[in-house]
Amino acid sequence: MPFSLSTDLPLWAGVLAAVLFLAGLGMVAWELTLHRQRAALVASTALVATVLLALAVLRPVRVDARYTQVGPKVVLLVDQSVSMDLPGDGAQRRRVAAKAIDDLRLAHPTVRFSLLGFGSGPATPLDNVEDSLPADQSGSDLLAAVASLADVSDEKPSAVVVVSDGRLDTPVEGASKEQLQAAFAGLGAPVHTVAVATSTVRDASVREVRTAGAAVAHQPLRLTVSVACTGNLPCDSVPITVHELVEAGSPLALASGTVSVVDGSGTVELPITLDRAGSRVVEIAIRAPAGDELPANDRRFLTFDVTRDRVRILHIAGRPTYDARAMRHWLKADASLDVVAFFILRSLSDDVNATPDELALIRFPVEELFSEHLPSFDAVVLQDFDAVPYGLSPFLPNVSKYVREGGGLVMVGGLHGFSAGNYGGTSLEAVLPVVLPDGQQRVIDATPFSPRYTNAGRDTPVLEALRALHGDRLPEMSGANVLDIPRKGAVVLWEHPSLTTTTGVPMPVLALGESGNGRVVALGVDGTHRLAFSEMASDMAGRGYGALWDALLGWLMRDPRYEPARLELTVPCRAGSATPVRVHTVPGLKGEPQLRLVRLGSQAAAPTVTAPKDRGRSFTTNLPALDAGGYALRLRIGEGPSTRHDFACEQGGQEWADPRPDAERLRSIATATQGTPVLADAVGKLSFPEATPVATERQVSPILPPWVWTLAAAIALGLHWITRRWAGLA
Amino acid sequence: MAHRRHRLTLLAVLVCVGLCLLMPGTVRAFGDEGAFHPRVLLVGDATFEGLRTTAPARWAWELTKRTSAPARLAPGTVRADSPALLNEPFAWWLGGTDVGTLTTREVAGLRAFFALGGVLLVDDTDPGVGAFGKSARRELARVLPDTVPVPIGPEHVIFRSFYLLGRPAGRVEGPDKLEAILRNGQAQVLFSSHDIAGALAQDRSGMASFAVTPGGDRQREMATRVAVNVAMFVLCSNYKDDQVHAPFLMRRRARDR
Repeated sequence: MPFSLSTDLPLWAGVLAAVLFLAGLGMVAWELTLHRQRAALVASTALVATVLLALAVLRPVRVDARYTQVGPKVVLLVDQSVSMDLPGDGAQRRRVAAKAIDDLRLAHPTVRFSLLGFGSGPATPLDNVEDSLPADQSGSDLLAAVASLADVSDEKPSAVVVVSDGRLDTPVEGASKEQLQAAFAGLGAPVHTVAVATSTVRDASVREVRTAGAAVAHQPLRLTVSVACTGNLPCDSVPITVHELVEAGSPLALASGTVSVVDGSGTVELPITLDRAGSRVVEIAIRAPAGDELPANDRRFLTFDVTRDRVRILHIAGRPTYDARAMRHWLKADASLDVVAFFILRSLSDDVNATPDELALIRFPVEELFSEHLPSFDAVVLQDFDAVPYGLSPFLPNVSKYVREGGGLVMVGGLHGFSAGNYGGTSLEAVLPVVLPDGQQRVIDATPFSPRYTNAGRDTPVLEALRALHGDRLPEMSGANVLDIPRKGAVVLWEHPSLTTTTGVPMPVLALGESGNGRVVALGVDGTHRLAFSEMASDMAGRGYGALWDALLGWLMRDPRYEPARLELTVPCRAGSATPVRVHTVPGLKGEPQLRLVRLGSQAAAPTVTAPKDRGRSFTTNLPALDAGGYALRLRIGEGPSTRHDFACEQGGQEWADPRPDAERLRSIATATQGTPVLADAVGKLSFPEATPVATERQVSPILPPWVWTLAAAIALGLHWITRRWAGLA
Repeated sequence: MAHRRHRLTLLAVLVCVGLCLLMPGTVRAFGDEGAFHPRVLLVGDATFEGLRTTAPARWAWELTKRTSAPARLAPGTVRADSPALLNEPFAWWLGGTDVGTLTTREVAGLRAFFALGGVLLVDDTDPGVGAFGKSARRELARVLPDTVPVPIGPEHVIFRSFYLLGRPAGRVEGPDKLEAILRNGQAQVLFSSHDIAGALAQDRSGMASFAVTPGGDRQREMATRVAVNVAMFVLCSNYKDDQVHAPFLMRRRARDR
């Protein structure tokens, strides 16, 4: 509107002016019906005067305004999951999506597009489709993204365009129209869909892996593995294998079988038993038929968080002593421990003066234990035990293999421990955290002493509880097994106050170490029972012994309470992409964190990892881009014991397990929400609401200054008064 | 032949005792750190003397001869009110007369001993009179109130901790069961009315100090086996109750019936 009335008058004033204007004209008209002389002249001057008087009150203005066309807001929601890296129609799906978005923008220049991506969580803004990948691409949760759009208080979109391959986590396949309408109702706008792929590759894949219940160490776990063939790949029977990946060794075969594929899919149940608790990486692989175009999804690397029902301990004591007694009392007092114990009660030279039937003795089943049952134990305690006379020597390679594959080992000293027990130079020595003196050297030192805490011993959470009870006091020992230097990576917690190793450093008394996947405790004395029974022990009701061994066994079993730090991947590791890892360290630890990455089941060197320079107790660092496989990330702080986190890294993971696009699901979503389903090459067919004109500039200027209107009105009133007198009116 | 074996045995005991006496009393050799030590418990102004003073060494020697368990071959004594009582988890309280009333310090010492899990063998050397057994029970009731001795027979692990035994034995035939005060399922006080010490004691010539009635040498052998089983029970507690041993021992007992 180019003209308007003065904006400083209230509405009632304008109305009053109009009423007075009409009333004035009415009175003149009525007057002229009674007096007709020069009536036209009187009427015209009256009209002019009344109009000018009204205009003097209303003071009309001129309005100059400019308008612009504002297009509708449309959200482009682009699937950022890993499945978008699969081949689409003519190109990689992600690239097809990028081109479709460019085409859409060209076709609708007035539409205000917001580019957002969706993966496993809320929608996140994108700069572009191909480069701005979200941290977690392991899923495609469309409903979570839609919910995040509906929650914002910003301008609501007039339409949403979902660009995807249709292989979505949510809404689930086969959802009804009503379910879809309910799921998208919060948007209040139609959802158009753009399918970036319609055809699939020739592929055989591990489609799905399910487990019946949680993984518990030593207990069979039933894996249900589905295998599928797509793209008319000829499949009949597909061999399948399951392996556990371990450090510094070949993968352990857990199960194998053959899947019969009928109508493109088949299922097989494979029972597996994982013997080690903690995170374990399992590889499930098929041998795909010839013609498979996507070999990356022929195998899955899965991380199983294996819990323990009870910790199974094999306790072997070479002689019944008070030290063995204390160990047994402690082991049997803990209901969470399942203890199988063997005490050597009789040596071959003992004269029992009785027939075998009069004895309550059984043969030490060394062969069964160390060749057959060994993997079923979580830890083995060899206490004051000589390897030679009781036939353990031939099985020492089994014990060292058991440790490298994840078992725990405790060697407690005594007259028959360490070198005195013929372990020097054996394969078992190689897994101990200390080097043993050779046969030419003294193997026992009978000088009484009290062990001394090292700095690492004071700092570690492992001895925290013991130190809380007794401070730095330790009971006097009657001697020690002579131990040499600690191995690389080992941590010495107690040392001898006067004896030294061949390199001149204090001799280790209590040392922790790792070998392969397992952990080892070496204790070169036989007197820790004095923490349970002695005058010193009495001060703390004998709790020191439990405090020590609870912690040593806890460390051996990777109990988080005794770890120096907690490591967690903030998102699942994806091959080829950097993965953030969060590190939470225990307070009070001194020293620099050292991170080391090890590839499981392979001798290949893994990339190095560095901790950030500016960090607190908790920090995040990035693992470099890794190949698909299993990895162990180790963290050591200063000279303390290390902690470890095993994880799987997959190229496509579950997202690639089913490479078929699902355009039909996209169609269902669009149809249910009054949207339009299109293919990527037909985005021009999408229509959006018309643009709305919005004033961007408005200028108001008076037609005449107010005094001109007033003057004119006064002159007109004067002329009208003269005319009235001339016509004979009062 | 039997005399010759006794002389050799005595010689061996004397050699071992002699070697041990040459060592400083407070020093334990590495490896003897956790050796079984049949210490004799003394209360009041009692002393350990008489023909049974050789019994602890005999017990230790029989244990090392028959089993892999190490033992202190020159056992000593320990007073109930001494901090040394808490050095090791076993003590042997033997006697034939009323023990009198334990002092407050003795009661406290024994309480601390039991609180840490110590095991006490109460051996009445004159069970016909029974004064020692009765008075020991009376005083131990002050140490461990709210506990009562209960009979334990062949079903208890102490009767199969090394030898398979059908009943206890000692210098006298005595009752066919021991008695025990059980705490947290563990026998912490064992009462014998069989004079085990009397069966073990030998004179300087290696001859038995006391006649064993009514079973003679066989009964003495069974008393020695009881002593060995008590030592093994102290060292291994209920080891022979473990499931891995249970089926085997059940089969053997069934066969023996």
